[in-house]
Amino acid sequence: MTVATSSPGARAPDAVERPVSTEEVADLMAWATAEGVGVLPVGSGRRARPVVGEGRYILLRTDGLAGIDHYEAADLTLAAGAGTPVRTVTDALAANDQWAPFDPPFVDQRTLGGFVALGESGPLQTGYGALRNHVLGMTVVTGDGRVVRLGGRVVKNVAGYDLLKAVIGSRGSLAVITSVVLRAFPVPPVDRVLVLEGRSMAHLLDMAQRVGTAPVLPVSTVIVDSLAEAGGRPALVLRLHGAAETVDADRATLETHTDATFQRHDHLDLAAVRDHAGEGEAIIVATARPSRLTTVVEAMGALEPTGLFIDPYTGRVRAAAALPDLEVVGEVRTRIESADGALRLDAPKLDGEAWRQGTRPSAGEATIIDGLRTAFDPGGVLWPARR
Amino acid sequence: MNEPLPSALERQLRSVVGADHVITDPDRLFVYESDGLSQYRVRPRAVVLPADTEELAEVVRILHAAEIEIVPRGAGTGLSGGALPTPDGVIVGTARMNRILEIDPQDRLARVQPGVVNARLTDATRPYGLYYAPDPSSQSTCTLGGNVAENSGGPHCLKYGVTTRYVTGLTVVMAGGEVVRLGGAGREAAEGLDLVGLFVGSEGCFGIATEIEVRLLPITEGVRTLLGIFDSMEAAGHAVTSIIASGLMPAAVEIVDKATIRAVEASVFAAGYPTDAGAALVIEFDGTEAGLDADADRAETCCMAAGAREVRRATSEEERVALWKGRKKAFGAMGRIAPDLLVQDATVPRTRLPEVLAKISEIGTRYELEIANVFHAGDGNLHPNILFDRSDPEQMARVEAASHEIMSLCVAVGGTITGEHGVGVDKRGYMTLVHNDVELDMLRRVRRVFDPRGLFNPGKVLPDEEAGIPGSEEPVGRSAPTARPVAGAGTV
Repeated sequence: MTVATSSPGARAPDAVERPVSTEEVADLMAWATAEGVGVLPVGSGRRARPVVGEGRYILLRTDGLAGIDHYEAADLTLAAGAGTPVRTVTDALAANDQWAPFDPPFVDQRTLGGFVALGESGPLQTGYGALRNHVLGMTVVTGDGRVVRLGGRVVKNVAGYDLLKAVIGSRGSLAVITSVVLRAFPVPPVDRVLVLEGRSMAHLLDMAQRVGTAPVLPVSTVIVDSLAEAGGRPALVLRLHGAAETVDADRATLETHTDATFQRHDHLDLAAVRDHAGEGEAIIVATARPSRLTTVVEAMGALEPTGLFIDPYTGRVRAAAALPDLEVVGEVRTRIESADGALRLDAPKLDGEAWRQGTRPSAGEATIIDGLRTAFDPGGVLWPARR
Repeated sequence: MNEPLPSALERQLRSVVGADHVITDPDRLFVYESDGLSQYRVRPRAVVLPADTEELAEVVRILHAAEIEIVPRGAGTGLSGGALPTPDGVIVGTARMNRILEIDPQDRLARVQPGVVNARLTDATRPYGLYYAPDPSSQSTCTLGGNVAENSGGPHCLKYGVTTRYVTGLTVVMAGGEVVRLGGAGREAAEGLDLVGLFVGSEGCFGIATEIEVRLLPITEGVRTLLGIFDSMEAAGHAVTSIIASGLMPAAVEIVDKATIRAVEASVFAAGYPTDAGAALVIEFDGTEAGLDADADRAETCCMAAGAREVRRATSEEERVALWKGRKKAFGAMGRIAPDLLVQDATVPRTRLPEVLAKISEIGTRYELEIANVFHAGDGNLHPNILFDRSDPEQMARVEAASHEIMSLCVAVGGTITGEHGVGVDKRGYMTLVHNDVELDMLRRVRRVFDPRGLFNPGKVLPDEEAGIPGSEEPVGRSAPTARPVAGAGTV
């Protein structure tokens, strides 16, 4: 478990708790609210933000909440404890020729609850929808120890307001996730991987835009600034899912539409592509409408990234970089926001407050968010990082 | 009889939206007394029809200051009474807000006002080779604003997902008239919470969406439509499970049962389904031409292995329309065999379909009611339709009891009380089947974040609060509709 406590101002927890049931989490949260003690829920700990400021806090490890509770392969649904490693889930699905189309960086090193709490989707979002579409249900414990079931075990799962959506991606700021129900998919007959090596990132961005207007939608489109299989050159990587004759026809359509020839790679290291620019002293994620990506990539150049990963369909750019100057980050953010985009910074070693350099919600959104945090966590004990 | 609006307030509203767009004439208010759930009827005090975000925000400010309840309304096609007026309330309709504000083919996005009709968006984007995927059965009349409020689905959401998957950003008018932009394509990296996802499906209780940004998809190259004829509903249910388990990804899988087949074939909508069949299964694949025939072959094999009597395949668009006809005209055809029809909506795990359908049949027999099933089988989204005569109070009581049993059954097997029609006023009494007091309280707390005074669409979604529930110090829904002839069932 690695939780950043070495960043300036960051504090180690006063205690570490490892509950093994939702009830134990509920008891702990009720106690924390009564005592005014902060709680930082942590899965693998890979992405926990450092805690700064005043006050006692507990690190709540969720690895005691591990295990698959329910897997109905014929219904394509699986329920597991929040501390279950994602790899355990994917292994169980694979045994039934099923999978979950999750591909943010290092997803296989995370816990299910931590992954859902971060709410990150990868480029397979293009073909399968964002993470929020695959989480059918959850059990959560609110800041003051109330146990709440959200969603259910069926695809059309909501009766009432969809609180599930608010909790996914809330980074533990609303509630502690104790179990998750996922939607699974049948493994596609063919996962065709096509690569186009580029003269430059600009060239590949142009090609990606052409792909984006083709009558065929790849399930995933990625540009990386360096691909091992391309001798370290930048490359556009496409994935097509379907029957063999379908993906072959789709490839032909894409080649005609883009006037390019894609190389078929049957043994590309897809995990390496997925994780590209996913690790570093600072990870900067920017988003914008796909047509404005050139502006975003140019702006990100000021951060001197050591790696770039671009998902042109969703308009997401991820950069790994050495510890950046926060003033430069602010300038980059301003440029990106002027293109109606947004920027997020994760640099635990830089400063416990560095994440605040990212794009903030509008005033109206912030009012709603504060209200939701109070509704879920009236004592304000969760996510002490924000204090 | 409603209290008329104070004349000064009415003048204020007319000055904002124009004299012609505030309706107080009882004859004109008549059409706003209900939505698609026509058994519930409540006359609103007035209907106000703003033209844009600014007008709508000002209208909400005025009504909010006067503490008058606001019932948002799109096209009024909803089947759960979500747009049912309250006796003290004013309807704020989006009918005039019907402009497509932006189509961005390069980024595959569109931005629309809430009164844009669902099918019109696809008509407008088709020249760019794009379309809007969610396709509720009412798509030729329902509006995007209503779709957002109800998180609408449709036959093809098996493959493509429901409304929430496609909404990337919203401009909403909040309870006090504040205008807030939520999310937006390109803003995913911003710190915060998924407020767009939370707002979609909030059934008009959080605010009114005045601009909606949606993702578009490329129009698919080909389509294959099959019709499987089965001797029993159970066999059709097994075919559905087999198709999905085989790894196929149909765009739609819809079931029509024996009672529905007979109703359709006896009507002007006759589609050529065998009247002695126990069930018919409409299966559709779309996508790249190459491979579609192979998918259709595999689905046909699944059907035959499950005991299909025959499997027909459309070879032209005309034949495709014909195969769909029995499914699409089912509700219209049922009007011929009973004066009233209750369209239920619930979801169960797909593998429990055969068992649940058998039990629904048993419930119908026990209550001496005819129940016809037409539904989205691929999602396990049932629409058991109860045929009845509302002029018979004793029969009405049986309908209510049968509805409650069906809902309880669906929940007991791991399902829920709605699939795509929402809770509205109709199913709020069933919310206790799926949520305990703590969960209902959580929903109330969240609702108060958006609308502290509970003026937006009161009496919807949440059951009336009872004393002693934590956090219930402030009631939500001050004037629940009084008309309630049958709980828990939509009508068409």
